[in-house]
This record gives sequence, structure tokens and C-alpha cells, in this order.
Amino acid sequence: MIGYYISLALRSLRSTPILSGLMIAAIAVGVGASMTVLTLNYTISQNALEHKDDVLFAVQLDSWDINEAADATNEIPWQLTYRDAQALLRSDIPTRQVAMHRFGFTVELENSSIRPYTASTRVTTRDFFSLFDVPFIYGGTWENEADFSPTQDVVLSKSTNDKLFSGENSVGKNITLNGEPYTVVGVIDHWEPAPKVYDLNNSPFASSENLFIPFGQHRKLEIYSWGNTNGWTTGGGEGYEGFLQSESVWVQYWVELSNNEQKAQYENFLTAYINGEKAQGRFERPLKFALSKPSEWLVLNEVLSDDNRVLGWVSLAFLLVCVINAVALLLAKFLRKAPEAGVRRALGASRSAIFIQHLIESAAIGIIGGVVGILIAMMGIGGIRYLAMGQIDTLATMDWVMMVASIGLALIASLLAGFYPAWRISRTNPSIYLKTQ
Amino acid sequence: MLNMHNIRKSFRTDTIETHALRDFSLEVKEGEFVSVTGPSGSGKTTFLNIAGLLETPTGGQYLLDGEDVSNLNDRQRSHLRNEKIGFIFQGFNLIPDLSLFDNIDVPLRYRGFSAKERRKRIEKVLEQVGLSARAKHLPAQLSGGQQQRIAIARALAGEPRFLLADEPTGNLDSLMARQVMELLEFINEWGTTIVMVTHDPELARRAHRNIQIVDGQVCDLRTVTEQAEAATA
Repeated sequence: MIGYYISLALRSLRSTPILSGLMIAAIAVGVGASMTVLTLNYTISQNALEHKDDVLFAVQLDSWDINEAADATNEIPWQLTYRDAQALLRSDIPTRQVAMHRFGFTVELENSSIRPYTASTRVTTRDFFSLFDVPFIYGGTWENEADFSPTQDVVLSKSTNDKLFSGENSVGKNITLNGEPYTVVGVIDHWEPAPKVYDLNNSPFASSENLFIPFGQHRKLEIYSWGNTNGWTTGGGEGYEGFLQSESVWVQYWVELSNNEQKAQYENFLTAYINGEKAQGRFERPLKFALSKPSEWLVLNEVLSDDNRVLGWVSLAFLLVCVINAVALLLAKFLRKAPEAGVRRALGASRSAIFIQHLIESAAIGIIGGVVGILIAMMGIGGIRYLAMGQIDTLATMDWVMMVASIGLALIASLLAGFYPAWRISRTNPSIYLKTQ
Repeated sequence: MLNMHNIRKSFRTDTIETHALRDFSLEVKEGEFVSVTGPSGSGKTTFLNIAGLLETPTGGQYLLDGEDVSNLNDRQRSHLRNEKIGFIFQGFNLIPDLSLFDNIDVPLRYRGFSAKERRKRIEKVLEQVGLSARAKHLPAQLSGGQQQRIAIARALAGEPRFLLADEPTGNLDSLMARQVMELLEFINEWGTTIVMVTHDPELARRAHRNIQIVDGQVCDLRTVTEQAEAATA
């Protein structure tokens, strides 16, 4: 009978195209608006490092002002000072560890028609690629020494390699960065974690970087972070060396600790390090550090903010308004068909058969509304992308989970909308319509 | 076939209670063709709705084919209605956006017949009412008489043992009315029990028995022949 009811539903939709169109539009607009917000919230809530959630940890050390806690959720600076990062890099406890920050280079390619352009760059230690499971197409990362001495190696993103070398294997070739020759040692595949868990305090939804260069070049190139740099004191000395030795925090730090024992060792190491620094007059606040899993790091950084949550509820409230509108439209449509329901009752349809028939018609409206709603949501997300001017590029698409969720939401909405009208028509007295039709 | 004993039916509003049927008792035997007459508002249609299990009586006992149907639930009543009862209405009550084929298909769908069985039955009844060539047409493309023949075909497709007709010729001209009446008589000859509500004394006389309902009660249970003899005496 379900097939029969579906064919009746489609026939009914065709017979009242305007009313059906209005109902589909009501569901589609509600679902489209809701799914636009819910898709953004869903993507924002994703943990791209979920598969390594138990072994990766963002490191925070409380080196901040004794008189005032750092402006962070857990009152520990989000980033480390350069000198602390260098000290932690000397530990051999973590399986892998990464010190890094955001930067930018002007890229040139000799004997090429490509004009010089600025490319987003990550200055990082070599473990970045293995720690965050970044896949390579060609080559690999640089040698260990490059993390501590100026070595002009570079790893390209796939898009950069496509742009500069038409996607060919560019390992061993040279490009010019800020006027200096760099040798390509590797090309990574397309890699866009969303949110960018490894760097949440610099546009967490921007695309990942175009270039990756070794961490050992700060002094040679006098590199400053292109991301957030925060400080609480002017101490440190003059010039670039003074900046490196200052209490300014601008280096992001991650470690991979494979088990609890290793984690405990590392916690002891950090405690000892802070106590050692305290003895030298630094770390004046009570001893405090944090090792946060990626999932915890996302919560700490409030990637999914209260505003997002409120917006999610508002969008669902809007859907509810659309459902109420659909109830009125469905009631009008179904009651107009009450004589037909009366005839069907006389011919042997039970109340439940009439109820199911009309509920399936509601479901058909919901499914069509859901499909249209997906298109509206895609346009909505595209609009938000456009307005955000590249800040949330990685949120741009609805994956299959959200598409299925859209249809599911539309189905639930339409069944809710159709329940009362279907119940009403199944309860009408058929004899009234049989005599007067 | 149909046995009603002391059936009562009342409709209540906030201030008024109307008794549509009062101590209504009637027996219709298998194979009978019974006409029901009476003034407007006498309770004819209420009787037909109760007989057709579309309404439940306020009191009394109703046996259909020997089964007490007074306390059946909606699903059981619907099943019984689908299997044993056919309806013919004054206004035909065909579903306007379904083809004639699909209109006849409606009761068969609820019966749960296979597609093959449904097709066989639909083709058979379409042939019986002489409208096989119009199967794909919509009701609006037919004359009133043809629409009523399709309604009769729909009622017959499930091979019911009991046919309820509510003024089946009320919307037809005399020629069409005669054709429909002949069809009903033909159906009755096959063995189908028919109860027909009518205002037309001429048609009422063509039944085996005419029942008059006045103020919700049966007031004359004699056969048509007995009534005629009494009238001439």
C-alpha cells in the first residue's frame, strides 16, 4: 500500500501545484535557513584530528604577568615565547613535537610569466607533517638540522605546486622567497583541516598554508609572526635578538605523547622546566601549564561560540514558524479533499489508512522541500563565504552527512506539519460528504 | 443478510437532541431487493449509513450476515465494509482526478488484491457496465448515466453480497434512470442483496419489497405486491 500512497501523494501534488509549491517552499526555506546555520555549526564542531585525539596535545605555559592572568579561557597564554619553545624542543620525551607560527613570503619563479605574489607560509619544525598526518605527493620534509640552523628548504602545497610547476614533481627545483633561493624538498597533497585545529588563534577557518619552511631561520631572516603576538612586558633587550628573548608569546606548540606514561614524564619535564625558570626570575605566577587534546583545544578556543549555538536555536525556531505555516496550508489542502476521503472510507479505507495516506503526502512534500532546502542552504553557505571574504573557506561545502540530515530534518518537519491535518481528515465523518458531494 | 433490532440513533447538539432512528427493526433476507421510501428527514440516509457501517447506532443490535457488528472497531468495520458492502450514491462520488480504471481500483486496493487480480476484476466489471473502452477517461469526460454505471462497477468489483444504493437515479434523466435500474435488477438476479433508498414511487415498486420510514421508524413492512393489493382493495 505504501507504493499506492506514494503515487496518490504525487498525483495530489500535481493536481494542486500552487498550494503544493507554497508548502514545499515553506519547508524548503525553513530547512535551508536551518541547515545553513547548522552546517556551519557542524563544520565548526568538527575535529579534524579526532583520529589522534588521545595522543596529540597543545602545550600552554603560564609565563604571563604576575599581576594579571592571560586573556584566555584557562588563563594560560595560547602561545609560547620563542625561548620557551626552543627549550621545549630540546626535550626528547615526546614522540614528535612541533613549534610553529604563521608567516608570509613573496614568491617569485625565475624565467616564469608568473608575477611575484604573497603566499601564506607556516614556519615550523619538521615533525609538523607527520604529527598532523599531512600527506605528501612528492618528496618529504626537510632534515632535522634545518629546525635549528638556516637551511633554505621549502615544502609546497599542492595548489602552489600546480601554480608554479603545473603539478609536476618539483622536488629539487628552486623558487625565490623574499629574494632568497629556496629548494623544494616536498609537495603535500590537498590538505584542509576544518577547523584548522593546529592554529585556532589565526583565522581557524582559513585555508591551510601555501608554503612550509624550516623553523631554524629566525635569526637569519629576522622573522616575525604574521599571526597573533602578545606580550605583557617590554623586557628582552634591543633589536631582533631582544624580541626572541622577550616574554612575547607567538609560537604555537604541539606534542605527540603516545601513552600515559610518556605524558606523565612530559608533565614532570614541564614542571621541572617552569621551576627552573622560576629560579631565574621568570614564571612569577603560580606554576601552571596545560596539555590539551585537539577536542579540548577546540572547546578552550570557543571555536563553536555561544553566538553560534544561539544562532542554531534561532534557525530552528524559524523552521518551526515555517512548519506552522505548512500546517495551515496542509490543513486547507486536506480538508478540501475531505469528500475524497469520505468516498475512500465508504469503499473500505480505515481511519488509519486515510491517516497514513495523508501523512505520506506530507512526507513527499518534506522530501521535495528537503532537496530544495539543500540548494538554499548551499546558496546560504556560499553567501556567508562571500561575506566572510576568505576567512571561512573551508566551511564552504555540505558533506553527505549534512545532506542526509537536511532530508531528515525536512521529513521530520513535514511529518510534524502533516500530523494534525492528516489526523483531522481521518476523523471526519464520511457520511457528511457522501450525501453532499 | 441484514438484521436490525431496536436500533436507535440520535444526534446531540448543545441544546437539542434529535432522534434520527427510534426502535428501528428490520430484516432483509439474502437475495432480496428492498426499496426504502419516506419523506425527507425521516431517517432513510441514517439507516443506510448505519447499514453500511459508516455510522454506529446509539443503541440496539445490528447483525450483518449473522455477525453482530455493533461493537466492532473502525478497522474491523472498514474491513467488513470493503469485503461485503458496495455503495452507490446519488452524486456518483467518483474521485475526479482518477481515471475510471483507477476509481474502480480503489476498493480493490484496500482489499489487498494482487495487481493481476485487480486488473482482471476491473476489466470484467467495465465490460459488464459496457464502458471498457473508456477505462482511461476521467469521470468528467462521461455523462451522468455513464458515471453512475462506473460507480456501480466500482461497487461490484469487490463482489459484495450487499449493495446499498442511496437514490442512485436521483441525478439522472428518465432514460438513464431506467438503464441504471435495469442494471441493478440484473445485479440482484445474480444474487446480490440490494437496499435502495429512493423518492421515486415507480422505482420503489420495482423492488421485491418497499419499506416506508416515517419519523425514524419503519411503518410498512409489506411486500410491494401486498401493498398494491391493499391499495386496490
